Amino acid sequence: MSVRDLLSPFTAWKNLFRDPVTIADPLNDRPGAPRYRGFHQNDMEKCIGCGTCETICQNGAIDMLPVEGIATKQGDSGLRPRIDYGRCCWCALCVDVCMTKSLTMSNAYTWVESDPDAYRFTPGVDKKHWDNAELGYHRPDGHQLMAKTRLHMGEMEPEARIESFAEIVEGYTIEQARLEADRCVSCGLCIATCPAHMSIPDYIAAVRDGDYERGLKLLYETNPFSGICGSVCTHKCETTCAARHDGDPIAIRWLKRHIMDQVSFEQCLAVVGHPGPSTGKKVAIVGAGPAGLTAAFDLAKLGHSVTVYEALDKPGGMTRWGIPEYRLPYARIDQDVDVIRSVGVDIRCNVRIGKDITLEELHKNHDAVLLALGLQLGRATRIPGSDHADVRKAVDLLRQATAYEDFGTPRQAVVIGGGNVAMDIARTLARLQKKQYGQVQVTLTALEDLSHFLADPDEIKEAGEEGVVILDARGPQQVVIENGQVTGLKTWRVKAIFDEQGRFAPSYDESDEQFHAGSMVVEAIGQMTDASLLGEALTEQLIWNRGRLQVDAGGCTSEPWLWASGDMVRGPDVVSAVADGHRVAKSIHEMIAVTEQAK
Amino acid sequence: MTQIEEGTVHGIDRLRGKTTLREILEVATGFEASARDFYNALIPKVSKRIRYLVEELAAEEQGHFDLLTNLAQRTDIAEQVKTEMERTASDSKFSDCLHLPNLGEQPDDQAVLQYAMGREHAAMHHYGELANTTPAGPIRDLFQYLASEETKHKLELEKIYYATIHRGGGV
Repeated sequence: MSVRDLLSPFTAWKNLFRDPVTIADPLNDRPGAPRYRGFHQNDMEKCIGCGTCETICQNGAIDMLPVEGIATKQGDSGLRPRIDYGRCCWCALCVDVCMTKSLTMSNAYTWVESDPDAYRFTPGVDKKHWDNAELGYHRPDGHQLMAKTRLHMGEMEPEARIESFAEIVEGYTIEQARLEADRCVSCGLCIATCPAHMSIPDYIAAVRDGDYERGLKLLYETNPFSGICGSVCTHKCETTCAARHDGDPIAIRWLKRHIMDQVSFEQCLAVVGHPGPSTGKKVAIVGAGPAGLTAAFDLAKLGHSVTVYEALDKPGGMTRWGIPEYRLPYARIDQDVDVIRSVGVDIRCNVRIGKDITLEELHKNHDAVLLALGLQLGRATRIPGSDHADVRKAVDLLRQATAYEDFGTPRQAVVIGGGNVAMDIARTLARLQKKQYGQVQVTLTALEDLSHFLADPDEIKEAGEEGVVILDARGPQQVVIENGQVTGLKTWRVKAIFDEQGRFAPSYDESDEQFHAGSMVVEAIGQMTDASLLGEALTEQLIWNRGRLQVDAGGCTSEPWLWASGDMVRGPDVVSAVADGHRVAKSIHEMIAVTEQAK
Repeated sequence: MTQIEEGTVHGIDRLRGKTTLREILEVATGFEASARDFYNALIPKVSKRIRYLVEELAAEEQGHFDLLTNLAQRTDIAEQVKTEMERTASDSKFSDCLHLPNLGEQPDDQAVLQYAMGREHAAMHHYGELANTTPAGPIRDLFQYLASEETKHKLELEKIYYATIHRGGGV
């Protein structure tokens, strides 16, 4: 044995004094690359449970499941993605498509478990050591599968639109509508928000496919006022659209309108079909607005004989008499109403309950009576001078404008109010002034500051573009009258309209007084129902709930033959009135069925 | 205060400017009672759909009336209610509020709310002023409590007024 043989085993000892070439604890100490696509993370504050990740996953590795402690609410399904690492291929499409950027991938890649089922986990809920890892794969800015910006809908320029009452918006072309529809990920969060629960993702898909007949069928399944809603719906659905978290919400209302623009009246008639086989039962409906006519449509389709009584000379309710033509052309109302007529609904206009026919007669001659009255009376400020004949209510003027009545357009006018009705009358007056005097002189004052206006931001913007001077945070104090003529409105600055708790508690700066000149002052504040048709006796008989008729879930009042629906029960909103009309029709139909069974 | 001083005009004025807590309580109790009676008389006149409003207002005033009446009858504060104190401007303002308006035969919800808000606003100020000029003790606590109650009530009424009159929506 040589010396070399003896020493050679110890030559490796030299490595004791060198840096190691391997990792001492490879399970814990070897980080993934900074942009490695490792285990998932989900930010619970951002996730809305839209399920887009589940839809895009090619391997079926993601399931949307309810999670304890996370409630379903508007704009959040309450579901969260559970990932199955037995299926996941780490492609990161789920991260790329995530609408809120809540889903990311950490650079962690080691995880040891003895239970194979543990590899199905819900990121953000099941706590893991990589939850707070900062490195990993995050969707890069600018890398987005869906377009962020909604397709602009063409509209008339302010200078042109102020010249007439022609409709402002043009509607999408087919190409525009398809591009806009392409932005929708069909998550369906909008369905829960829509009061009528319209099949929004499905009809958007129909637009994408160019299948307008399918779109039309889907619209009429839930909304016989789709023409009207396509123009003036409050589109609450868009406030919960998943796309709004990283871009513009989908133009849902405009896509609905697009379907209606693409189909003919005859196609609408074909889709709604015929009334159901006659049941021999009769229902009277008071008020031909969206709630009353939706209920009439449903009941007629079920085979009941429905008569709608309308006090004014045309049906449509506040959609006709309260919304100016530049926002909602009357032809669109006529079409929706005519489709409803086609299923056998008998609409009798110029019939005033209490004058031409009594409620008792309706009760006596029908199996059920529905009140769908709307909010047709304007509230008054009752400030000094407000009882002058030239202090008018906005709802009255809008009604007169619809009827093309001359109410004496003032050269200068002041509007009180910050809601959509205030904008409607201000813009109506602006058009009339432009036509009659060649210039617009309308001042709009509101208690609220601009951020608390009830009007749609678009309405405020467009009113300003049309020359309406908008003054926010002004409290009306007095209508100034000189020599028997209204000369304007005196206001004080509102220092605060709400207290720290957000309650209405206006305080004024009396030193900041302004005078707004105008020969007419228009009050456009709250609205209420004219319930005088009920009469004293029935009013006493009915049960009321804090100023409103008490109704059950189906809209039935405390009198078993009388139902109430729409704005008078729910407050002003077209699509809510449509939803209410459906509910009430179902309730009336059930009552009739139960009564028949009992015989 | 001396006898000579009391004989002067200045002294008489000062004497007239003083009252006891019992007297103030009586005025305040009368104030609450008159409002309660006013609302109670209004209940059958208004439409059933807004009757809840007037009934709630009457109940509210009855609650304050009971509170003040019970307090005046308590023996443990009998000495305190005899305390003489400066008559405040609020004391007479209560009396001003006793002159109740004529709301007509069938007042609507807006008229009732406007009256009620005005009354709560006055009461809030008067009780606050009384609390500030009353010696520390249960009576001051009471006035502070009533001032706070009237403030809460006024805010609640303003909220209803705003929701009903300014933001629309109702029969």
